[in-house]
Amino acid sequence: MTVPVLELDGISKSFGTLAASTDVSLSVMSGEIHALIGPNGAGKTTLIQQIYGALVPDSGSVILNGEQITSLSVPARVRKGIGRSFQISNVLMDFTVFENAIIAEQARQRNSFNFIQPAFEDASLREGAEIILNRVGLLARAHQQTRALAHGERRMLELALALAVSPSLLLLDEPMAGAGMEESQQMTQIIDQLRSKMAILLIEHDMDAVFRLADRISVLVEGRIIAVGTPDEISQNQEVKTAYLGEDS
Amino acid sequence: MNTAISTFLMIVLSGIRAHKILWVLIAGFGLFPLFTHLADLPFWNDLAMRIMLLSIAAIGLNLVLGYGGMVSFGHAAFIGIGAYCVGISQHYGLMNGWLHILFSLSACSAIGLVIGILALRTSGIYFIMITLGFAQMLFFLFVSLEGFGGDDGMSIDRAEFGFIDLYEPLRLYFLIWVVFVCVGLMMMVIVRSRFGVTLQAIKSNETRIEAMGLVPLHYKLASYLISAMICGVAGTLFANWQEYVSPDIMHWTRSGELMIIIILGGLGTLVGPVLGAIAFLLLEEFLPLLLEVIWPAYAENWMIIFGPLLVLVVLFGRGGLVGLAQRAMARVNRSFNSGERP
Amino acid sequence: MTFTLILEQIFNGLQAGVTLFLVAAGLTLILGVMNFVFLAHGAQVMIGAYAAAAITNATGQFFLGILLAVPVTFASGYLLEILIIRHLYRRDHMEQVLATFGLILFFNEAIRIGFGPAALFSDLPPSLSGFVEILPDVPYPAFRLWVIVVGLCCALAIGLFVSRTRTGAMLRAGAENPEMAAALGVNIKMLFRLIFAAGACLAGVAGMMIGPLTAVQSGMGEPLLILSLVVIIIGGIGSVRGAFIAAIIVGLVDTVGRVFLPSLLRLFFDQATADGAGPALASMLVYILMAVILIFRPTGLFPAKGRG
Repeated sequence: MTVPVLELDGISKSFGTLAASTDVSLSVMSGEIHALIGPNGAGKTTLIQQIYGALVPDSGSVILNGEQITSLSVPARVRKGIGRSFQISNVLMDFTVFENAIIAEQARQRNSFNFIQPAFEDASLREGAEIILNRVGLLARAHQQTRALAHGERRMLELALALAVSPSLLLLDEPMAGAGMEESQQMTQIIDQLRSKMAILLIEHDMDAVFRLADRISVLVEGRIIAVGTPDEISQNQEVKTAYLGEDS
Repeated sequence: MNTAISTFLMIVLSGIRAHKILWVLIAGFGLFPLFTHLADLPFWNDLAMRIMLLSIAAIGLNLVLGYGGMVSFGHAAFIGIGAYCVGISQHYGLMNGWLHILFSLSACSAIGLVIGILALRTSGIYFIMITLGFAQMLFFLFVSLEGFGGDDGMSIDRAEFGFIDLYEPLRLYFLIWVVFVCVGLMMMVIVRSRFGVTLQAIKSNETRIEAMGLVPLHYKLASYLISAMICGVAGTLFANWQEYVSPDIMHWTRSGELMIIIILGGLGTLVGPVLGAIAFLLLEEFLPLLLEVIWPAYAENWMIIFGPLLVLVVLFGRGGLVGLAQRAMARVNRSFNSGERP
Repeated sequence: MTFTLILEQIFNGLQAGVTLFLVAAGLTLILGVMNFVFLAHGAQVMIGAYAAAAITNATGQFFLGILLAVPVTFASGYLLEILIIRHLYRRDHMEQVLATFGLILFFNEAIRIGFGPAALFSDLPPSLSGFVEILPDVPYPAFRLWVIVVGLCCALAIGLFVSRTRTGAMLRAGAENPEMAAALGVNIKMLFRLIFAAGACLAGVAGMMIGPLTAVQSGMGEPLLILSLVVIIIGGIGSVRGAFIAAIIVGLVDTVGRVFLPSLLRLFFDQATADGAGPALASMLVYILMAVILIFRPTGLFPAKGRG
């Protein structure tokens, strides 16, 4: 029985009287795309924040590759192998696409605290940056100012930067938010191909993408997991239907 | 060893090529005494020294302000600490200038560490106010140290730098100039380095930098310490130039002036602080004279022009002098290109 | 170390505290709700002091001077907002610092041109120039007592306004979440203008109060400005209640501390050390307090936006 990449055990978090997460447990294996769905306000982002380290749970543990990380900071968890793409793109707007990738590569090489070596002219960093951008097909746009990118391209860059840390766990927070038809399909393809290399936790509202990509789906309603299963199982689950999917599914 | 030196030289040379205007200015300051000697205007050497000292401090603050995006309102305190290191050392009979600089670097990094750790846990308006608060604390500390002159300050002899006698003409000028060159070089290398790029990336989006596995506080704190030390050295040299130090040097309005200089010249550029220092001190010298000519009754109220000038610069002058120059260049290029069309 | 002295200093501390509150109340809202670094708030103090002194000297009536100066300071804040401040909201903090710094220079110089560099004559009104016995055999200057009363009444009025009225609710909403408040339909432009003008007015009142106690001259507002920034840091940006509590604390610590710290030190150290370190520590006391509070509460005691 292989160790899951991510294991959540009894995660609970309240804000005053509002219970954002109640006894949430789930696991994500390597090679699996695990989707987290639920109505708006269900607490999906709060849960992601607790996995990522931006929020500390009131109780419960977060275990990465068998190791307790519940008390680690965000950068520490990233170094242990968590990559994250945000719902609203967090790319470096004041730099070009290529420079974004160089900075990510430099961070991956754990060599950022160097006061003398120039960054943007460095050959090994440039090589690594090309690899990063090639994963999402952005190399052609390398010298564009990030500010001038189209929305879909920015989401691609966001994904590329998340992948740059060579994560064993990839947290995707609505990667297709605001993307058009074509871009969504592109992104779906890319994510599909990432499956074999890592464990992926996907939050997404685009149900087509979810059902195409997910190996397993967890349904979060009002802070609680009400169902876990394969896409088929979930689409036939009556409780889920009423809580979330509506009549047609 | 040889390759290390040659790589370093390559880094420096490529940097100089990328920042020609800065190095032209610095070279200009180096040659300036020749010009004043020929024109028999030795007073201007004094002004040039003041501009260089202000440039050094502004370059230091620019690291955190322009490149790091941290609005520190307390950096005049470090200039003051550097200056008082000279005064206090001399009070106890220590006349060695190198020692003064060593004290200045140590004091500024120690105090900078304490303030930095406390202040850098916040950002935005909190950070501005907290740095201001600490600077005020240091100001009042020195005002109340009766043993070191208190409010009246203390007079200073020029320090002994071994074989260099600062009382000989132009010795102090070139000491300041050498420090100016060194600080310029250092800043140029740092800004293009992995550290410098990461710092600017933190300014751009701190969340993303955390998501890359880096701890932003480390970079901010390091840059804060470096800038504090640079300002400290500026202060040490300033004490030698003025032969006097008082708490006024660390009044909060001094910090404001330093920020004005950087923003006026061009935030987050290497040459901006120098241009700003030149513009600021020239204005300070010549605005009163100008007013004497056109409106002599109000000559001593020249500040009344300076105030609204700043407001106008903010409202209409994006990017400071550097931004202005860039826009002018763009316009020249455009008319050049349009002229080429058949 | 008589009881009278202690009581007198406590009252002085209260007086300093309410004065600080008047300055800090407006500023904390400007910083917290409008996210605007308004360094020239000290100039509003100065404008208030000069307006009151000028009218008093012209009419010979102290209270008339104050009465007429209040709308003058309100108007000056209102005009400033319309002409300059509202163009700066979208700018980053650095540019706001630069611009408001320029405003300080302008106002200080303008006052110097208008009224000269020497302090303006501003005397106590005869009705308030005597002493009042706050306790039997404990005389206290009537004017200072009046300042305390005025200050506390203003604090009460502001407190009721902020907590009991609709506008006050909008204010609190704006302090906690400006974007949300705007989305909920609050007329942000007018709200900002009123906050600014009201803040200016309060600062002006502070100036009118301290005018007779200190000097009415160019630059008189800056020391108060800096100290009120410390008050706001301690109290929490955006919180009027925090500003009040912090102002009283700072006022008491600064006043009482300065008087009694050297004596206190003499209990623990020898005369020479105490006399040397005493004044130094006393003047830094408020800032040390600020630093200590920041260690445990980086965003102040009652931050409007909540902690973390």
